[in-house]
Amino acid sequence: MTALIEAHELSKWFGEVVAVNNLNLSIKPGITGLLGPNGAGKSTFIKLALGLYAPSRGSIKLFGEKPRNNIGVMRQVSYCPETDYFFENSTGYEFVFWLNRYWGMNRKKAHEAAYNALEMARMTERMHDAISSYSKGMRQRIKIAQALASAPKLLFLDEPMNGLDPRGREEMVMLIQSLADAGLSVIVSSHILYEIERITDNIVLIYRGNLLAQGQLSEIRRLIDQYPHSIRVTTGNPRGLSEPFTALPEVTGLEFENDAFTIHTRELNSCYELLNQMACEDASRIQGISCSDDNLQSIFDYLTR
Amino acid sequence: MKTDDHIPEQGLPGNEASGSLNGNAVLTLPTWLTSQQQPHHGGYFTVMGASCGHALQILFRRRRLAMAALIAFLPVLIPIAMSYLALGNYSELGDNVFVRLAEDLFINVFTPLLALFFAGMLVAEDIEMRTMIYILVRPTARSAWVFGRFIAFMIVASAILLCACALTFAASTLHANLELTRITDLTLLFHYMGVIVLALLAYGSLSVFLGTFSKRPIVYGVIFFYGWQYAATLIPGLIDFFTVRKYIDALLPIMATQRNVTEIQTALGTFQREVFLVSAGKALLILFIITAIALGSTIIAVQKREYAADRAAGG
Repeated sequence: MTALIEAHELSKWFGEVVAVNNLNLSIKPGITGLLGPNGAGKSTFIKLALGLYAPSRGSIKLFGEKPRNNIGVMRQVSYCPETDYFFENSTGYEFVFWLNRYWGMNRKKAHEAAYNALEMARMTERMHDAISSYSKGMRQRIKIAQALASAPKLLFLDEPMNGLDPRGREEMVMLIQSLADAGLSVIVSSHILYEIERITDNIVLIYRGNLLAQGQLSEIRRLIDQYPHSIRVTTGNPRGLSEPFTALPEVTGLEFENDAFTIHTRELNSCYELLNQMACEDASRIQGISCSDDNLQSIFDYLTR
Repeated sequence: MKTDDHIPEQGLPGNEASGSLNGNAVLTLPTWLTSQQQPHHGGYFTVMGASCGHALQILFRRRRLAMAALIAFLPVLIPIAMSYLALGNYSELGDNVFVRLAEDLFINVFTPLLALFFAGMLVAEDIEMRTMIYILVRPTARSAWVFGRFIAFMIVASAILLCACALTFAASTLHANLELTRITDLTLLFHYMGVIVLALLAYGSLSVFLGTFSKRPIVYGVIFFYGWQYAATLIPGLIDFFTVRKYIDALLPIMATQRNVTEIQTALGTFQREVFLVSAGKALLILFIITAIALGSTIIAVQKREYAADRAAGG
């Protein structure tokens, strides 16, 4: 399959700060999750791919061509930015309409495409209201509508779940999957692993501007499973409660705090079973259990070890 | 803030249904999106028209425009007031009143003022509000965007200043020696109108250029258009060649340029200015060159500069 995006030794720095560092990657059609904690360089990568930034070093190509100031490439892509930027004193309809006109559509087509896109985003009822009166979710839908109005082949969604309530997130997941099913390629950036995991298994992990891993999330998880996991137990009696864990052969270490202890283990299940038993015997002894392995940061912690 | 954040769960009626991915429910998408047939691209002039039309809509919604128009039309009252307040032999001649208002207010004050507030801000606001990123990711020639914005400025600023100038001329006919129907007087009016348009071209293009580089084009514009241009007339030497005003002044009717004796000028400065007078043809050419260079530089700047938001690393 031909690559949609190809980055070769791609770097971008702003003054002395390196935002993207020597990135070599190839993104194929379909949904790709761009994962990384805040400040990892995801948005910078997207802007490089869209030609909004020129690379400081290296190169990036979309559909085999350099994207910057390339009208041919821009016809095929759309972008939904993370932050809410809108024309002043504009309604939702006008916003989409004028962006359609800037795309190169004539007036009639721009009106038609604006209406269609807003109808798809379920914004027709409020489309003639000022954007300043919209909720965060409605603004997000307006941004999605402007991105879809030109029927792009490749869609960049920068943190599309930000600010959405759980139902809004659910709908966004459904929309992205539907777009992929219809043959569109989607690049979704997020700093929340769970969100991306629900959308796609194909991910690119970026950390501090560097490419950490690329491929199937399940493979990356398997890789992670080779390393010890950590469970933090909050309790009034850390030393007493931790004693049974020393007998477990999987446990590789224990760390103590005043009101908690952390178990380092090669296998999670046996520890959870033991904790379950303890909770059944006397639930008041355990005030809280958290496993840092469920979040993205733990993956980065493992991969950067 | 409203709380209606939800897209209804059903798909759109009358459209093709999609499958599912990862076992989750999937929305139905309209055929215009799934067919992957992109709309027809109208080309360069469609985008330029869009940029112009959008800029006009933005301008007409600004209170600033009404304020600017109000200020530009105030000089109409001056000849009227002078006509009623004049006493017998002490009344001013109509052509004298009109020429002074046209030069001292319309050309030297209002033209750069409108350029700064409209031409400069039309570009600068898209950059500052970061709506520029939407435009830059569209298949839009950046020059089409710049030209569209500039044309919108020229339409609005010309309409305001030319109407105000024509009304001032009409009001000046209340005085002696100026008539609405006399060909020579109308020629004088059209001459000044032409100079106003040329001045708008030069000042407007420079303001657009300032807008692409600075978040405060008005501040830098005021320093250049009013501060520097005035200072250059006081400094002996040929420094006034580096002003727009010199070439605009060269286009004014002879009668008007000879009247300019009230400013503080050194003998040497006056002498050099007389020696190095610029002909109307050369002045016209230089104004066009200034406009072309400023617009060309603006286009290059928009192509080269990175206007995306969150320029700090890690965004």
